[in-house]
Amino acid sequence: MAQKAENKACAMTTAHAESMERRVRLTCRVNGQFVVEDIDPTMLLLHFLRDRLKLFGTKEACGEGECGACTVIMNGRPVTSCLVLAIEAEGSEITTVEGLAKNGELSILQQEFIELDALQCGFCTPGMLMSARALLDRNPDPTDDDIKEAMSGNLCRCTGYRQIFDAVKKAAKREREELKRS
Amino acid sequence: MSQPDYKKEMEQFSYKQHLDYESPYRHVGKGYSRADATEKVTGQARYTYDLEFPGMLYAKCLHSPYARAKIVSIDKSKALALPGVKAVLCGEDTDIFVGLYMQDKYVFARGEARYQGEVVAAVAATTEEIAEKAITLIDVEYELLEPVYNLDQALKNETLVHPNIGEIAHTEGVFFPQADTNIASLNKSRRGDIDKGFEEADVVIENEFSLPAVAHVPLEVHNCIVQADPFSNKIKIWSSAQSPFALRQMMAASFGINESDIQVVIPYVGGGFGGKAGIHLEPLTALLSKASGGLPVKLKMSREEEFNYMPTRAGMRGRIKTGVKKDGKLTAMEIVYDWDSGAYADYGVNVGKTAVYGGLGPYDVPNAAITSNTIYTNKVFSTAYRGFGHLETLWTIERQMDVLSQKLGIDPYDFRMMNMLRPGSRTITGELVTESTGSPIDCLKAAAKEIGWTGRKTEEEREREWKTGKVSGKGFAMIQKAPAMPANTSSSVIMQMCGDGHVKMMMGGVDYGQGAVTAMAQIAAEELNVPIEMVECRRVIDTDTNPYDWNTVASKLTWMAGNATIRAARNMVKQMKKLAAAVLHSAPEFLGHKDGYIYSLHRPEQRIAYKDLALGYMFPDGSGIGGPLISHGVCMADGLTNLHPQTGQGHPAAAWTFGCHAVDIEVDIESGDIHVKKIASAFDIGQVINEKFVYGQVCGGIVQGIGSAILEGYKFSDENVLLNPSFTDNKIPTMKDMPDEIVPIYIENKQYNGPYGARGIAEHTMISVPSAIGNAVYDALGINFYRLPLTPENVMLGILSGEKDIR
Amino acid sequence: MLSQFEYIKPLVLDEALTFLAEHEQTYILAGGTDLIIMLNKNMIDAKYILDVKSIPDLDVFKFTEGEGLEIGANVTVNELVESDVVQSKYRALCEAASVLATEQLRNRATLVGNICNASPGADLPPSLLIYDATVKIASAKGERSVPLRTFFTGVKKTLLNKDELVVSVFLPDPGKQDNSIYLRQTRLRGHDLSTVGVACRLNGDGKVAIAINAVAITPLLLTDLSDQLNAKGLSEESILWASEEIKKHIKPITDVRASKEYRSHMAGILLKRCLGQLTGKEV
Ligand SMILES: Cc1cc2nc3c(=O)[nH]c(=O)nc-3n(C[C@H](O)[C@H](O)[C@H](O)COP(=O)(O)OP(=O)(O)OC[C@H]3O[C@@H](n4cnc5c(N)ncnc54)[C@H](O)[C@@H]3O)c2cc1C
Ligand code: FES
Ligand code: FES
Repeated sequence: MAQKAENKACAMTTAHAESMERRVRLTCRVNGQFVVEDIDPTMLLLHFLRDRLKLFGTKEACGEGECGACTVIMNGRPVTSCLVLAIEAEGSEITTVEGLAKNGELSILQQEFIELDALQCGFCTPGMLMSARALLDRNPDPTDDDIKEAMSGNLCRCTGYRQIFDAVKKAAKREREELKRS
Repeated sequence: MSQPDYKKEMEQFSYKQHLDYESPYRHVGKGYSRADATEKVTGQARYTYDLEFPGMLYAKCLHSPYARAKIVSIDKSKALALPGVKAVLCGEDTDIFVGLYMQDKYVFARGEARYQGEVVAAVAATTEEIAEKAITLIDVEYELLEPVYNLDQALKNETLVHPNIGEIAHTEGVFFPQADTNIASLNKSRRGDIDKGFEEADVVIENEFSLPAVAHVPLEVHNCIVQADPFSNKIKIWSSAQSPFALRQMMAASFGINESDIQVVIPYVGGGFGGKAGIHLEPLTALLSKASGGLPVKLKMSREEEFNYMPTRAGMRGRIKTGVKKDGKLTAMEIVYDWDSGAYADYGVNVGKTAVYGGLGPYDVPNAAITSNTIYTNKVFSTAYRGFGHLETLWTIERQMDVLSQKLGIDPYDFRMMNMLRPGSRTITGELVTESTGSPIDCLKAAAKEIGWTGRKTEEEREREWKTGKVSGKGFAMIQKAPAMPANTSSSVIMQMCGDGHVKMMMGGVDYGQGAVTAMAQIAAEELNVPIEMVECRRVIDTDTNPYDWNTVASKLTWMAGNATIRAARNMVKQMKKLAAAVLHSAPEFLGHKDGYIYSLHRPEQRIAYKDLALGYMFPDGSGIGGPLISHGVCMADGLTNLHPQTGQGHPAAAWTFGCHAVDIEVDIESGDIHVKKIASAFDIGQVINEKFVYGQVCGGIVQGIGSAILEGYKFSDENVLLNPSFTDNKIPTMKDMPDEIVPIYIENKQYNGPYGARGIAEHTMISVPSAIGNAVYDALGINFYRLPLTPENVMLGILSGEKDIR
Repeated sequence: MLSQFEYIKPLVLDEALTFLAEHEQTYILAGGTDLIIMLNKNMIDAKYILDVKSIPDLDVFKFTEGEGLEIGANVTVNELVESDVVQSKYRALCEAASVLATEQLRNRATLVGNICNASPGADLPPSLLIYDATVKIASAKGERSVPLRTFFTGVKKTLLNKDELVVSVFLPDPGKQDNSIYLRQTRLRGHDLSTVGVACRLNGDGKVAIAINAVAITPLLLTDLSDQLNAKGLSEESILWASEEIKKHIKPITDVRASKEYRSHMAGILLKRCLGQLTGKEV
């Protein structure tokens, strides 16, 4: 009995040792905070954010770059985190949906999503917000076509997109006004 | 009798677009933001997909690569030997059935795999990676069998998907499996004398319309976590599901245990569209948990599994024969609906059954006969899907109505008006239409007027436009749908008042995006006459604490839980008034209630705050009367009955919601692309409960409908293997595919037993979009299409063929 | 993902080339929008993933007047879309780049990854072929340049050897008065792979070049067709002729995305539209 248990423990350590060998260190900034973690190189950025950092706001809905639910902003650009290895984020700056509200206050974009009911089940919402955030950061005054182009990599089955489109447009306007004021 | 001038009636008809909508109520009808919106925009909302528990194991499934194959042997030994693997199960380990209406499906394929994608074995392991690896170590030996490919082959009954069909246990008297055939259920309805109807007709036209299976595509895939105690019957489930109580009941039936042993918790749900009604991954996961010593096990689908293994909307073929008088009066309608329902019955049989009372459109047809066959084939099985068969039946009826009007040379608007249900008419099941039923006529008037319908395009107009490469067209299609639910469907609500006078309520239906928790809070606040902030409807559903609801499907929640909410709130007010009357030395009848106070109608300054009654009233000397305020309300479907097995007569409909979609499209005649410029959608919803949510349903339903109309559909190989099990080739519309303009129109003819007169609206917004587009395509091109989807390719090849009928 | 790879991120090209030469089962990672899907779906078993994004040599994105544009392996599709040179000198490439996948993917996906993946339906190759692009390839043994025309050898196959890496793609300077266009057909307006896509170029001498994707096992440069068309001269008539004639120069198949009939039809329509727009003729 004792023999058996020992064998098993042995096998476990080898398996463990093997995986430790492949571990790599990842240093990056997520929502403004430094993160240093040892990870397996096969880990996807999406799973790093969710499983390791417990940032469950970033969603997974296809794992093949088609739906945009996993969109995060990496070094200023929106990317689908299901198609990025976590280790590729080395040295980068990442923003997830959890990083949108500042000082306990919802961002204008979030406010408009709520006001115009740009969400139903909410599963696509974080990805939508990140695509919209990235759009407004690079283009504060987008045309209708700009909005559609920037947002069409995010699938939503509930809303039919109309309210999302309207919310982005209205948020853009409010942000521009805010900017003018300050 | 001379005919009314229908067009003139249309011109005179006035209606309000959604932007001008105003509600006469304090809360009901108002466009409040959804109560859970903040959690959703900040990433705090936790879906089952996001949950993890200490010691949790991860499950993965092994699927049959073949549409039909005998499972000769399964060798699990290598998988079991992999460190980290806790359990490996397959068909021989369990004979538990999962069946909604028919006990036709084992948890794992047993002996035979009946569709490509069916689960043959599953693993639970400490990590997802190990589980994935273990799956590759399971050796299965298959012996290929010739599949039942399609409807035609199935109906020959040479090969049976379920040879034991005659013995399959099923809900008797509702579903009718046919022994020695592939027909899982044959349902019928009959009105009048169909032969006589055809004799009376001047013109008889027969057509066949069809459409493929499509996927629901909730953004959150099916997934669940189950913890099954190996030492007792207790099972705890967290699931991305629509119907906690139905799930509990079916789980109990499958495992032969008490419902009360099972606890189902439904956190946030990322969309359902019918695909998460019923029971899916939970039994399999429970078995894995039990086999792993009772640790919680999480099973989530990949997107590919979602397409391949999880059920779909069935493919359908409708064969329709219609008799009509030269003047346009329908005399007879005979329809056979064949549902390509895949390997198992699931909700599919109920969709089939629903077609016999919902599958005639909103028309008064004196002689009608509908036969609906739900048919087994070796494909991924089908289930409920937004519309529950009505998108399919409307594709048949509303296209046929258009084709008929062409042949008769009558304007399709007038033709529909002539035959529409109106107070005094009867439906195919013999139900009398009254003012309370709602008005399809108003919906058609409004929608057609909104797109500026003046009649069909002339040949000259078409020719002129043809030269520009783009041809526009207009069309419309009616909607009629009632909830498909058992005659004894019920809902319930519990309310409790907190010490601060705020009310917490619970229901049994799930808010998976439609906004039910907010809508119910609005109704409750209306009745309690308090600011909306004082009512909160609990978001997470837990069968151990929440009261019962049959199912969250069928667009019935607002109607049923809404009525239950009114009753619970009124009961709470009654309790408060009784207590306050004692304190104020008054009578309950002399008291009013408003803004958190019970007050004397005669001397309003004499009042008691709700909060002072909430936990019982305390007198100055410290003594108390009354007690914590708790109320409940229930709602049982009003006067429904089962349908007669032969004639289909009876009362199936709690509420008919009528509507009409009217579209203005443009077809690129060189590429076949259809562009929806405008879509006007009118629904007789009785009373808007939350304007924002109705608008949301309309926009969402329309775009989903556009998906069914011009894009979506399963494609199978010659071996019945799904060719497009991913978003790469199974697309859904994107933001770029929105119509340019959507105009929702709310008609409010009250239903007397609806909450504030309301009827359900959810599925309706989708179901006649394809038929309206099909009709508009005819207007544009002069070509009738009989098959969906109207992809650029299908439309283009149709144009190139030079034919006028693309069957 | 079943692959248990190690992640290698060399900082100089030589290091990468040596590693490639010495290690089997090594896959080059650029944007990863094709590669990570292959890994996720266990279509490949990788031992090493060689991330080339930190190699400065591959960052090159430089236009030299009179010579041309060199696009390094690390240049992303969105960098192409945003580039003034690409917008003004290589319009078809800009158009193809802006319809490729989605905003999110274009931020990762590279042009070189697009050609190395060698999908017959890839969007960028037609717009590169019409500019006589050449591919600069390096290995530990040395460098070579090949015309893109000869680069594709089959579905998902190129003439790259296992130890080779693409450094850049070079497009000669088209000079002034050159114009081009890329049009494609998709199943919906949102992101989709092309059912068929056509790139056309009208150079300063009034000569046309035509390339097409998704109608053969590789993207095609239709030199015979353009030669014949150029011989005829561009007119409404010859454009209509070419849009019929093109069907003889392609070998579309029927697959889950489209039938060969539709592909063939659309090849003609897209060619007609491309030429019509380039010449300003209404056809
Ligand atoms: C959702 C989705 C939509 C898409 N839509 C489109 C579309 O519309 N049109 C289209 O054309 N494509 C599309 N693609 C495919 C893909 O995005 C493109 O092919 C992209 O350009 C690939 O570039 P990458 O940098 O991501 O390549 P990677 O994935 O990094 O690499 C692709 C292949 O090339 C190899 N490779 C990369 N760099 C080199 C190098 N320097 N030398 C040698 N080999 C190398 C890799 O090993 C791999 O085999 C889509 C993909 C997805 C997931
Ligand atoms: S999960 Fe990343 S795009 Fe769908
Ligand atoms: S809100 Fe449900 S998918 Fe977008």
